[in-house]
Parts: sequence; C-alpha cells; structure tokens
Amino acid sequence: MNDLFAPPGDDWRPVSPQLCKMRRVVLLTTTGILLIAVIVIFLVFDLPGWLMGLSLGAVLAFAVLAWAMIGRSSRAWGYAERDEDLYIKHGAMFRELIVVPYGRMQFVDINSGPIERAYGIASVHLHTASPGTSARIPGLPADEAARLRDRLTSLGEAQAAGL
Amino acid sequence: MSEHPYRRLSPLTPVARSGILIVAVLAATWRDLLRGDLGPFGWLLLGLLIVGGIYGGTSWLRTKYWIESDELRVDTGVINRQSRRIRIDRLQGVDIVQPFVARLFGLAELRMDVAGGSAREGSLAFLTLNDARELKDLLLARRDAVRAGSSSPPSALGTSAPGPDGAGADSGDAAPGLVPAAPSPEPDRLLARVDLQLLLLSTLLTPEAISLGVVAVFFGVLPLFVDDAGGVSVALPVLGGLALVVIRKFAAGYGFTVAQTAAGLQVRRGLFELSSQTIALSRLQGVVVSEPLLWRKLGWARLDVAIAGYAASSDDNGGPSASTVLPVGARTVVKRLAHHMLNASPDSEHREVDLDQTALTPPPPRARWVSPVGRRFMAAGTSEALVVSREGWFNRRTHIVPHARVQSLRVTQGPVQRLLGLADVHVDSPPGPVKVRARDRLAGEARAMLEREIMVSRQARAPRTAEPLIRSPAGP
Repeated sequence: MNDLFAPPGDDWRPVSPQLCKMRRVVLLTTTGILLIAVIVIFLVFDLPGWLMGLSLGAVLAFAVLAWAMIGRSSRAWGYAERDEDLYIKHGAMFRELIVVPYGRMQFVDINSGPIERAYGIASVHLHTASPGTSARIPGLPADEAARLRDRLTSLGEAQAAGL
Repeated sequence: MSEHPYRRLSPLTPVARSGILIVAVLAATWRDLLRGDLGPFGWLLLGLLIVGGIYGGTSWLRTKYWIESDELRVDTGVINRQSRRIRIDRLQGVDIVQPFVARLFGLAELRMDVAGGSAREGSLAFLTLNDARELKDLLLARRDAVRAGSSSPPSALGTSAPGPDGAGADSGDAAPGLVPAAPSPEPDRLLARVDLQLLLLSTLLTPEAISLGVVAVFFGVLPLFVDDAGGVSVALPVLGGLALVVIRKFAAGYGFTVAQTAAGLQVRRGLFELSSQTIALSRLQGVVVSEPLLWRKLGWARLDVAIAGYAASSDDNGGPSASTVLPVGARTVVKRLAHHMLNASPDSEHREVDLDQTALTPPPPRARWVSPVGRRFMAAGTSEALVVSREGWFNRRTHIVPHARVQSLRVTQGPVQRLLGLADVHVDSPPGPVKVRARDRLAGEARAMLEREIMVSRQARAPRTAEPLIRSPAGP
C-alpha cells in the first residue's frame, strides 16, 4: 500500500533497536519523576484525592501513548545507501523521505550524548548547503555510524559538485 | 613585515563617521559658542569632540590596506591592533554602499561578502567613490583570475605575480599597490531600470501603503464624530511606523538599475543611501518571481534571486533586500531578466533555458480537503533545465531552480495527506528566498517526481568539475 515510502532498492536498513530501548528508558524515568512530583505536590498542598488520581491517570495515559509512539517512530527510521545518493525515511505520523546526493554533501557529523553512549549508539547528520536538508539518522550502532561517516565522506569527495 | 605599497582610507573618514555627532554637538552649543562663553556642558561636549577627533585621526592613520598574495589585508586598530586577511578567491561579491552622510562627502563603503564571515569583517569604510570602484573591479578581476587557476593575474594589475599558493609574494618594489584593472572588454549593458512613476505607483499599491492610508483616513475622520480625540495620539506611532516602512521601500527602490557587467550582474539603487552590488551569476541558485494581488492586474512583478553564500539576507529595512534584483517591473521585463540570469549561469551552456516551456500542473482535486483555498493557486512542473513551482493567492510566487542547483530532495506526508493519498515534494536550496515545492500531489506522482528529479539533477550537474572552494574542506 505504501509505495510512496518504498525502499529505492532492496530494503531499508533499520536503525538499532537500542534507540527504541533508550527512548523508552528515558520516558520511564521522566514519567517516574513526574508521578513523584505530582504526589509530593498534592500531599504538600493537601489537595483533594480525586484530583490527584486524575492527574496521575493523565500522566500515565500520556506515558502509555508515548511508549507506543516511540515504538512506531523508531521502526519508521530507515536508510539506504545507493551509488550516488543516500535515502533516509522517518516519521510515523508525519512521514518524510529525504534523498541527498553524495556530491552535494558539505560535511558529516556524528553525535553521541552520554545517554546514547551508554547504549552504544550515535547519530549521523549530513549537511548540504541547504538548511532544509534535515538528513539525520539517529540510533546507529557506534561502529556503523563511523563506517557510514567514512563512506559518506569519501563518496562525497569523489563526487563533489560545485555549488 | 616588509613594507608594502599600502593605501589608506579617505582622510575624510573620521568626519563622515561622526558627521551626525558633530552636527548634534554644534546644534546644542552654537548659541554658547557665539556668545564666546561655554557652559560646563558645552566644555564637556567640546572635550569629547576633540578626543573623538584625535581618536578618529589616529584610527585613520593606523588603517592601511593592500593586496598581497591573493589576500586583501587590512590593518586597523588604535588600542588593539588588528590585521585582517580576506582571501580574494573566497569573495562572494563586493558591494559599494553609500550611507547618507558619506554620500555628502563623496565617500563610499566597500562591503565584501566572505563565505561564513560576518558583514563587519569584510568592510572598508570609507573610501572615495572612485577608489571604491577601482578596488572593487580590481578585487573581482583578481578573484576571477585566481579561480580560473591562472597563476598570473591580469597584467593590468601592476603587481608582481604571486602564485595561487602565495609562493611568490610581492617583492615590494616600485610596483604600485593598487592599479585599476583594465577596462572591462565588453561594455556594461543596461538590462532593466525602475522608473519613478512605476516605483511610486507600485509602492502605493503595497499592503503597507494602503493600510497607512486607511489608518490615516480613519483617524482623520474620527474626531468629526467623537468629541474626545485622544485616539489620534494613539494612532500617531502606528502611522509613523507605517510611513517609515513605505518611505524605506520607496527609497530603496529609487533609481534601481540592473546592468550586465564583466564581473556579473550589477544592481544599483538607493535614494538616501546608495548601494551597488555585483551578483556573480555563476553562483545563482534560483529565482523567485512574486506577483502580489494588487500588482497582478497591472501586470507587475518583482524578482528575487538566491545566490550561494549570500545567506538569507533578510528584509530588515522594510525595503528590497540584498536578494532583490528588480523591486517592480512589467511582467515581461521581469521574465526577460530572469531568463537572462538563468541563461548566464554556467549550467545552461548546453541547453537554452526557456521559462515558458515549463508546463505547470495543478494538484489533484482531492487536495482541496487539505488546502481548500491554496489548492487553486498551486502548480508545479519541470522542463529540460528547470524545476518550477507556484503558490499563493495574495502574493503569488513562482520559484524556479535549475536542475543542476538542486541540493537535496524530500517527500513529506502528514496524517491527513496520508488518508487522501497525497504528499508534498520539496526541493532544498541554499538559504535564500527560493523554495521550490510541489504541494499536495498524488502519492504515486510525488514519488515519481522525486525519482525523476534525482536522475535529472544528477545528469545536470555531472559534467561540472568541482570547484576547489567546495572540495578542499573534506568533511570532519
């Protein structure tokens, strides 16, 4: 049914499942903190119990929704390396497919924050002369990220085109 | 550092820089001066003026500029000395600007657009107008020579020949530091001009001018019916602001001329502040033709361009920004100018770019569920050399990008679009006014457009060799 985001060649390469895991752990942590905060506030100000129940319910419902969304959006990430361009697709609700010709690449970034490092993943960001090019792949295993960066850099150099 | 044949800014620089201040001081103290009896305030101002004068004079003495091994070097600074080097081959463009006070003294500021540099870095203020023009021609000629890879700059430069890598620096002999480049081989050709009548009428037909009129009439009539006229004082700042915007628009478009010179497209404009900028057409990324609702019936349009490295020069003065090539003109003139610019860029060596050849198709009828009003004004299409899109009812804009200038491509789809089987196709361009996007196309068509554009833009840019500018910093 979804021809629009069909892979250009064989199949999309997925990102690491660690990404999903990491985001869910972050979600659980923030939800926990939020729940505790709600309880503390209600106890300190001595507010009615039904309101507390309602608030806790809302936080929990939101967390469940976010849990499901994280799963969908993590699965939605995919990329494919072709001979002359990189394809990236992402988004579950708002979907996007990006095609970046290697020759248009200006530079490649790898980012890995402390939490990402704990899960052994990194994100690769491609920059062209256009700020509209939002070509980012999060949640790549660290060695795959480094491989991709090196490959993109060498291909970018080989196929570089003038502005 | 060995002595180089340097040059100085115009000696009138300190006066021009502090022109308004001097006027203010004189205005505040002339009565006391005439009486020959300065109050303490007068003495303070006079003291400040003298200190300022000394500072300005020293600053002028200390500021020197010269060209050395493909760099424009500028030494400045009274207390903190600075030495700037501007790589000539990195120059995106050189503009001459004449602020009002400087214009009274016949001075001009030279602004150099350096990739990734702030505006302040690449500025020489002030030179005499002639010096500014000479230096500009010289820099542009030198840049083209360096870019062309020839190790010897044009002979007319008069300096000894430095290698592109700066191996053979100037020997600093009798060669004068700056000699005007040879007169351009082809004469400047005037392409378009905005005449006063057209500018005046078109400025009056902008939303700002019309709201100015409406507000003015409203508050002019109001006191007739309401006794308490306190509302008028509230209206004054609004009126003033609107009037300022309208006047700036008018002033910036005044005397607008576009000419083709050897160095590129030259745009001159300004009423109070004159500016002259040269656009290198080889760096053209795309053009936008805007047709506001009020102008459309009269057949007028405006032309903006995107130039690599010119960044998104915003419209901060309310007037035409640096990207404007024609603030207003008959549609045929605008079309001809766009045509000229697109054909002058190097991608079009093989194919003739024809704007009218591009057949634009509207999105399918079901797009009305996502864009009920906008759908009727959207269209997109491609031709052999161009990818084009149009949208907007109040201000209809036609965005045009040559295939060879496409950076990256995207397809996006929101939840509602997915229900309807629609998607947007975006063509990414460097920062600037140009944004080609085909909105609300059928999903299958969108993907086909994407794939076709990938192929076409790849072929369009294939024959070009990489500019060293892009290739040298190869990724981190």
